[in-house]
Amino acid sequence: MTFPGKLSDLKRCFQGVVPSIITTSDGQGVPNVTFISQVHYVDDRHVALSCQFFNKTRRNLDENPLACVEVWEPVTLQAYRLHLRFLRSEKSGPLFDMMALRIDAIASHTGMSGVFRLIAADVFEVKSVDVVEGFLVELPADAGAEPVSIEGLRSEVRGLQFISDRVNRAPDLETLLLNVLEALEEYFQFSHTSVLLFEEASQRLVTLASRGYGESGVGAEVAVGHGVIGTVARERRVLRLTNFEADLHYARAIRREAEAQRGRDALQMEVPLPGLPDAQSVLAIPLAIGDRLIGVLSAEDRDPLRFGEWHEAYLEIVGNQIALGIDRMLNRPEDNVEQAEQNEPARPVPAFKPAPAGTKRRMLTFYKSDDAIFVDDEYLIRNVPARILWKVLRESRRTGRTEFSNRELRLDAWLGLPPVKANLESRLILLRQRLREKCPDIEITPSGRGRFSLRTCPEIELTER
Amino acid sequence: MTSNPGIASDRIQAALETGTSIFVGTIDVNMSPLCCRAIALRADERLETATVYVPISTSRDTLCNLATTRRIAVVVTKPIEHISVQLKGTSRTARLARDDEEAFVRSRLDWLAEALDRIGVPRRVTRSLAHWPAFAIEMDVDQIFEQTPGPRAGTRLR
Repeated sequence: MTFPGKLSDLKRCFQGVVPSIITTSDGQGVPNVTFISQVHYVDDRHVALSCQFFNKTRRNLDENPLACVEVWEPVTLQAYRLHLRFLRSEKSGPLFDMMALRIDAIASHTGMSGVFRLIAADVFEVKSVDVVEGFLVELPADAGAEPVSIEGLRSEVRGLQFISDRVNRAPDLETLLLNVLEALEEYFQFSHTSVLLFEEASQRLVTLASRGYGESGVGAEVAVGHGVIGTVARERRVLRLTNFEADLHYARAIRREAEAQRGRDALQMEVPLPGLPDAQSVLAIPLAIGDRLIGVLSAEDRDPLRFGEWHEAYLEIVGNQIALGIDRMLNRPEDNVEQAEQNEPARPVPAFKPAPAGTKRRMLTFYKSDDAIFVDDEYLIRNVPARILWKVLRESRRTGRTEFSNRELRLDAWLGLPPVKANLESRLILLRQRLREKCPDIEITPSGRGRFSLRTCPEIELTER
Repeated sequence: MTSNPGIASDRIQAALETGTSIFVGTIDVNMSPLCCRAIALRADERLETATVYVPISTSRDTLCNLATTRRIAVVVTKPIEHISVQLKGTSRTARLARDDEEAFVRSRLDWLAEALDRIGVPRRVTRSLAHWPAFAIEMDVDQIFEQTPGPRAGTRLR
């Protein structure tokens, strides 16, 4: 039966949750049937298919432009047959870039950049669409409309207003990040989120806040261009992956084949994904102002259909708000910051909970060659935040001081803070979070704008190597 | 290009195992291709002939194509590992599957449900796929190709 609706009514079929299948034939009429990784909706008359290998399908299309693609609605599992005519291959441009982003991210994640890549976006005219009648004996019991979009439309304006308000009111970067992640859970039910900030000097993204994970992952790093998050950062474009695990299975199958042919050493290592080990959906949003990268906001879920097209478009706007808020915090003019730091009265510092009696002695070791601190042989932190901690611990040990100012950190050449855009606040947030998780016997607590208190339990030994 | 005998043998064996996902491709007289999901494949050990079972409810056009062109391609995939082979050949006959074949077809759907359940597709969903009554398409397998995604895809195995 001919499908009575528009192609756009079938958009969920193109999310890649259930792999699609294509049949072509050569000029002699010999059919060829194979899976395809992406059927991309272009408009109501056109789709584009991903061409990743110069394979039989590609050669067949040059001999006979007709093709049939079977797609499945991921919730109802109803099948549809698209009767297509091949029009052209696009090897650059917006359509190519959009389709390549997803493949590049998966390839980078599985260590196959350059091996698993989009060669072309093959554009087809959709001649007709048939509903495959009788495909299912009975519909799955939970088949139904997509609830996410409806809920999304309801809270659209309120959500934007709420997040903007929280971004604008946040007194410091730490509060801003926590508020944003809390708002995303409250308004969008995004339960597993994290914010990574871009460090220009190292060209890496560092996790500065997260929500919904057993262990926060704060401090976890990813290089720009590596894995899903690194690819989003490099390309400065939103990426929504549905059925992520299936994509990884597919890519790993290709990796196995490539290894068998070229050897294991010819490929890069797979990039471990910070976050849920069994994520089925990933939505990664670049936080950027113009071309300037601020960071990446990442959300994950175990539901393969958790993030819809609506989220992708709408959260791009939310991402812009967040990027502006973070940038405002990170780039306050140094003079203003220092002036405000000096003028603001001291804040009451919450009571320090000393380690219970009998707690073992903690040994902190600063490894000069690695620029890193370990607590009782467990990694704590490295680079600038490590040097900050080491400086204040030594100073406190030497003089008995427990109050410190951001200003003195900025002036200490040993810390290696850049003269402009020092991002000191983000480094202190990272340090505080890591201490909370790995060494609660040491606390660095804000005691006023630009000031902080150091509190430690007495049983701490410092060693430098 | 042909593969080495070891790989060819492994791949052919994989195609005959349980828990595989099967699709049939055919073409009409106007060179217009068509896809159809199959439920089961039965073959001799060397895969020289095979019988593919397709649900009656979804395969009317496939049967029409075979009646006129006889050309058929069958892709068999292990869904977890993505190991795939493609059989190409000609149909000898397409007939209504017999009652004594029903248990075999149903068991193959059950195995597929087990395999897909391991990658998150609930068994009840797979079992809701139309599968019986079915047509049995008997074919001569002329060629077998590697179809596992990757650089060797398209290599002729036999």
